Amino acid sequence: MKRSPIHTTEHRLLLCLGPGGVGKTTTASALGLRAALEGRPVDVMTIDPAPRLLDALHLDATVSDPQEVALDGLSVGGAGRMRALKLDPKHTFDSVVERYAPTRAMADTILDNRLYNNISGALAGVGDYMAMEKLLELYDDPETNLIVLDTPPAREALDFLGAPERLLDLLNSRATTLLGGGLKFSDMAARAVLSAFDRVTGLHLLGDVQAFVRSFEGMYQGFAERAARAKSILAGPECLVLVITTPEELRVEETGAFISSLDQAGISIDGLVVNRVAPAMPGKPRPAKVTPPALQKKLLRNWRDFAALKQRETAALRVLREMLPADAIMLVAPDVGREPRSLEDLAEIAGTIDTADLRKH
Amino acid sequence: MAWPRLTFVIGKGGAGKSTVATALATYLASSRPTVLADLDQRGSAARLLGVRTPAEGPARAGEGVELRSLSPRRELEHFIRRIVPVRIISNRMLGSRTFAYVTAALPGLQAFLLLSRLSSMAGEAAREDRYVVVDGLSTGASLELLSVATGVRNLAGGGTLNHLAAELESFISDPNRFGVAIVVPPQELALKEALEAASTLRAQLKVDRAIAVLNGAPAPLFSAAEAERAMEAEIEHAGLVRRRLDLDSAAQRIRKELTAAGLAVIELPMLFTAAIGSAEVEQLSRSLRKKVEA
Repeated sequence: MKRSPIHTTEHRLLLCLGPGGVGKTTTASALGLRAALEGRPVDVMTIDPAPRLLDALHLDATVSDPQEVALDGLSVGGAGRMRALKLDPKHTFDSVVERYAPTRAMADTILDNRLYNNISGALAGVGDYMAMEKLLELYDDPETNLIVLDTPPAREALDFLGAPERLLDLLNSRATTLLGGGLKFSDMAARAVLSAFDRVTGLHLLGDVQAFVRSFEGMYQGFAERAARAKSILAGPECLVLVITTPEELRVEETGAFISSLDQAGISIDGLVVNRVAPAMPGKPRPAKVTPPALQKKLLRNWRDFAALKQRETAALRVLREMLPADAIMLVAPDVGREPRSLEDLAEIAGTIDTADLRKH
Repeated sequence: MAWPRLTFVIGKGGAGKSTVATALATYLASSRPTVLADLDQRGSAARLLGVRTPAEGPARAGEGVELRSLSPRRELEHFIRRIVPVRIISNRMLGSRTFAYVTAALPGLQAFLLLSRLSSMAGEAAREDRYVVVDGLSTGASLELLSVATGVRNLAGGGTLNHLAAELESFISDPNRFGVAIVVPPQELALKEALEAASTLRAQLKVDRAIAVLNGAPAPLFSAAEAERAMEAEIEHAGLVRRRLDLDSAAQRIRKELTAAGLAVIELPMLFTAAIGSAEVEQLSRSLRKKVEA
C-alpha cells in the first residue's frame, strides 16, 4: 500500500464532517483502518453506522465502549491496532449525569425528568455534546494514538462544533433567569408566551424545563470546562479537519456553504475527501475486426453515456477544488460500486483513497 | 391513478429527491396548478428549474408550477406572531437568544408546526383543486417529522394541542390528502433503507399511500452474450460494460424487492447527460406521465 496522502502522523485527531448520505462513516473507518495498518493505535468513533459497516467491523451495536477490531489477514505495521465504538448519546448522557452529579439523589432527579427523557435523545446538541465527552475520554487514554471522529450528518457545518455551546446555553444562568423570574423585557415576554402555550396546550412543559435546568445547577461549571477543552483540541494543531462529500452537482453548492461556514467560524479545513468518484475513462472505442458492427455501436453508445456522466462529475470536481483553500488537499475515494461488507472491503477502499489529479479526470 | 393532494418526497441523501420532486411537480402541473415546496433550504428545486430561490415569498417557475420555501424557523415565527399579536413584543421575543434555547428544548415544536403547515397546504389544495409536491428531507429526518404528531398527542394529555395532533395523524393517513414517494437510486444500501422506511410508514405512522420511485434505471443495452463477447474482446472497455451490467442488475433487483414488499414502483430512466437542468427535468416529467398513465 502506498503511504497515506494525508500525513496523519502529525495529528492525534481526524475530524470527519459532512452532509448525510455521502458515505462519511465508511470513509472515516477506511481512513482509520489505513492509519492502523500503517502502524498506529487507532480508535474510530462512529455515530450512526450502517448495519453492514458494523458487520464489517465486527462491532456490536449495543455496546458503547471501544471494541477491538480483529485485523486478521491484513498486514499490520508496528504498533498498529484498531478499536471502534458506536456512540449511544442517551447512554453516554446517563453516565455523564451519574458521574458528575454531586449526589445520587440529584442524578436520579435528572434521570427521571420527563423532559430529560425526551431531550436526551432528541434535543439538538445532546448527541454532539456526548460525542465531545467521549472524545475527551479517548483523548486522555494513553493507549490511543489517533482518534478518528465520524460526526452526525449535518445540514450546517457548525451543527456539530456549535452544539455543545447551545446545550450549555440552555443550562446556563441566563436560561435559569428566564425561567425563574425574568429581568429583561423580552425574557419576560418569552416566559409569558410559554406559560400561555403550556396552558393552551396542556403540555405543562415549563415546569419541566425549569426543573431540568435547576437540576443541573452545580454541574454547569464542569460541563462548560470540558466543552471548552474539547473545543480547543478541535481547533488546535493536532486535529485534522476533513470534509467528506460526493461529486454530485446538487451537492456542490451545499459543500461550498459547508466549507465557507467553517471558515467563518475560524476553522480551516485541511482536506476534502470526494467519495464515490467514478474510475477514469478509457479512450473512445475504435472499430475492431473481432467485434461485430452492432456490438461495436453499442460499445460506443455505452462509452458516450459514461463519458457524459464523467464530464458532469469532472465539472463538479473542478468547482469543488476552487472552493477549497489553496493549502487544503483534495482526495478522491473511488466508487467501488458496493457497500463494504468485510474488513477486506474496507481495506480496499482505504488503499485507493488518493490525492485528486484533475488532469486524470 | 388519482394523485393525493400533497406528495411528500423522501429518500437517502443523494438519491435524487429534488430532481424527482421537481419532475413530479412539472408533470402534475400539466393537469392542475402545482405548488413545489422546498424543505431542504438549499434551493435545489429552484436551481433545477433555472429560477431564483424563493427566499421569502413564492416564485413562479414555468408553466403552472409555483415554488415555495418552507422552514421550521419561519413556522415558529408565524406561530408566535399568531399568539402574540403585538408586533413589537413578538419581534423582541423572536430576537431573544434565551427564547431560542427554550423553544429548542420543547420537543418537536418546530417539526409539529411544519407538519401543521403541510396539512393546511393540502387542505387549500383540495379546496382550490391543486397539487402540492414537497421536496422533503432525508428518510430518517422525514420519518421523524411525520412521527411528531403521535409524539405530541402522547405528550399533551388533552387540550388544543392534543386535538391538533390527532388531526395531523388523520391527515397523514388520508390517502386523498397525503402520500409519500420514496426515491430509491439503484444502490444496495438505499434499497434497505427504503424498505425499512416503507414499513415504518405503514405500521407505525399509518400512512396509507406510499410509493417508490426507482430513480436511474438504465435502459438495457447489452444482452448477456454480447456483454461476454465485448468483455473478452475489448479489454479496455470491459470495465464500462461491467458498470452498465451492474447498474442494470441492481435496478432489476431493487424493482423486484420493492414490488415484493407491496410498494407500487414508478421507474425513471438514468440520465446519461453531462448536466442536469430544466431540459432533463422536463424529460423526466414526460417519462413520469407515461409511467403513471400506463
